[in-house]
Amino acid sequence: MKEKINLALLELLKDSGIQPTKGEFDDFVHRLVNKLWNKITKERMDEILITKNAVEAVPIILPNGRVGEQYHIDVPFIIENVEEYTIIGLDAVGLTFEKNEQGFSISGTAQPEDIKGGDFQLSLQYRCKGMLPEQEAFERKLNLILNPDPRTLWKDIPTPRDIEYFKEDSQMEYVKVEAINDIPRKDIVAASQRGRSHAHEGKPRDDHFKLHYCKDSEWYIIAVADGAGSAKYSREGSLIACETAVEHCVNALTQSDDFDSSIKAYYADKSADDARKAISNFTYNIVGNAALKAHNAIKAEADRKEDARLKDYATTLLLAICKKFEFGWIVASFWVGDGAICVYTNETHSAEMLGKPDEGEFAGQTRFLTMPEIFTDKDFFKRLRFKIYPDFTALMLMTDGVSDPKFETDANLLNPDRWDALWQDLADNGVELTDDNEKSKEQLLEWLNFWDRGNHDDRTIAILY
Amino acid sequence: MRHLPVYILIDTSGSMKGEPIESVKVGLADMVATLRQDPYALETVCISIITFDSDVKQVLPLTELENLQLPEIVTPDSGATHLGQALKMMCDKVEVEVKKGTPEQKGDWRPLLFILTDGKPSDKQEYNKMISRVKALNFASIVGCAAGPKADIAPLQQLTDNVFKLDTMDATSFKRFFVWVSDVIGLGGKSVGTTESLQLPGPPAEVNVVI
Repeated sequence: MKEKINLALLELLKDSGIQPTKGEFDDFVHRLVNKLWNKITKERMDEILITKNAVEAVPIILPNGRVGEQYHIDVPFIIENVEEYTIIGLDAVGLTFEKNEQGFSISGTAQPEDIKGGDFQLSLQYRCKGMLPEQEAFERKLNLILNPDPRTLWKDIPTPRDIEYFKEDSQMEYVKVEAINDIPRKDIVAASQRGRSHAHEGKPRDDHFKLHYCKDSEWYIIAVADGAGSAKYSREGSLIACETAVEHCVNALTQSDDFDSSIKAYYADKSADDARKAISNFTYNIVGNAALKAHNAIKAEADRKEDARLKDYATTLLLAICKKFEFGWIVASFWVGDGAICVYTNETHSAEMLGKPDEGEFAGQTRFLTMPEIFTDKDFFKRLRFKIYPDFTALMLMTDGVSDPKFETDANLLNPDRWDALWQDLADNGVELTDDNEKSKEQLLEWLNFWDRGNHDDRTIAILY
Repeated sequence: MRHLPVYILIDTSGSMKGEPIESVKVGLADMVATLRQDPYALETVCISIITFDSDVKQVLPLTELENLQLPEIVTPDSGATHLGQALKMMCDKVEVEVKKGTPEQKGDWRPLLFILTDGKPSDKQEYNKMISRVKALNFASIVGCAAGPKADIAPLQQLTDNVFKLDTMDATSFKRFFVWVSDVIGLGGKSVGTTESLQLPGPPAEVNVVI
């Protein structure tokens, strides 16, 4: 074979008039072979390098996935001279690789062994033109991030019983005002649940509520309070606020003949100045003073306790009193802080907020009952409400743990559609608000466990219906 | 959906090249991995990274932790420390990226700011100009970290009371620092309700509080 090639080469040289000596010819063959070898090898290496660079340069963006959820991404991947490729490492996360006309896709349900997810190394292995069969495939490393499902991360650590001002993680109550002669009378149901963010750290619930029905004078009293998450004794602040405010109202309303007659006089002639003035005074003396007393009671506790300041008890307060008269329902209220108080009437598609939530520029900035300036502010009166309604479906008081996820914005709080949606939400999710249904307190507490991304604050809602 | 915006300013001037910046990158990666395992952070935290040398770049626009992929961080061989410019860019970004509360939208949580430098601002004038603007942005907390022997704490102190000093710029120090940063961020999401500054957790052993 070799001799034949040598002879052929000699022939070619002779044809060109070259007569090499044996030594010259051997050298020529040696150089020729080396030169061609190097040239071709370099060509092949260059070819491979160009392809490799192209593979490295092409953007392959794998968005983060979530454990337990569907993952799908189409990646454009058409590179000249790439002859075959695959992705290694997807089995470990339960995903599959598939080629298509534009490139490839990765899809499936993300199921890594550890439900906590993490960073997973994938390897794009490819062969390209110019590679030798014995050469190992090239690889480009890829990173796939799988986030855990947040629901699997929340812990539920009971609140230690030996902390100061221990409070149960949940609270519920039903105030049953039984029907008389088959005519239903409104009841109150309320529930309060510790938020996931507190449960996760074994911290106590900061919300509170208190309900009361005055059997003789037939006044309903409802207080709901949200202790500030950042204030260390706010759980006690919200408790004192509710207890004190309700106690004051009970005392003021047990004998409410004067107030009742003023209300009747006002209803008979709404333009009469005396009646208006009387109503205004009563509202101020009852719900306004309830708030002030609550403030003072918290202050007394802060003074009593060593190393405690008033703002350590920071809490909101939503307070409403309500009574049925032959001409309609009276609702008077006081509100400081965020959350919502609303008189909702399903039939007329109306929702009337009894004030405005105190909101700051940033989330979590609100006003508190514990701020002394609340009571000296000229706008203090705006926190008080008095109104007569022909009837209503529900009077609702809630902390922002409920109003934030359900309404999102202050503008939505004014939108009756959203209140319809909330009312429907309660009905659809097992809360049976039928007359005298004491079980609705458990149902309401269960309902409070609804899932809403990023909203895991304590949740409290009271419904007079 | 309310977010907790976190702005991280990282010095990429020439002196950070090599082990320091590599350690910072490892620290950042660990921090993100840790935060991903915190359900509150996973649902609420957004991170932006701005690097500064002679150039200032927002290498990561404010991104939800869930979607976040850490960008490449490179350091030039040499270059100035334009921290003033970096603050300016950060302020501009905060104004656009952080949602303020209005009747139509819920505001984000008050943002956090972390500044990591191994030197001092070369654009002193711009830096001084920016101090009041940064303060007006109402951060829940601003943390300055002066790393290494050449870091100047004085300029950072004009910005915040929370200035920490790392004596060495090795992997361990940065790692501990970022573990601590994760704690602060984790806390940020939970500390809800007052207008006061966030209470910082105690710093790790490697971090010296500048008093």
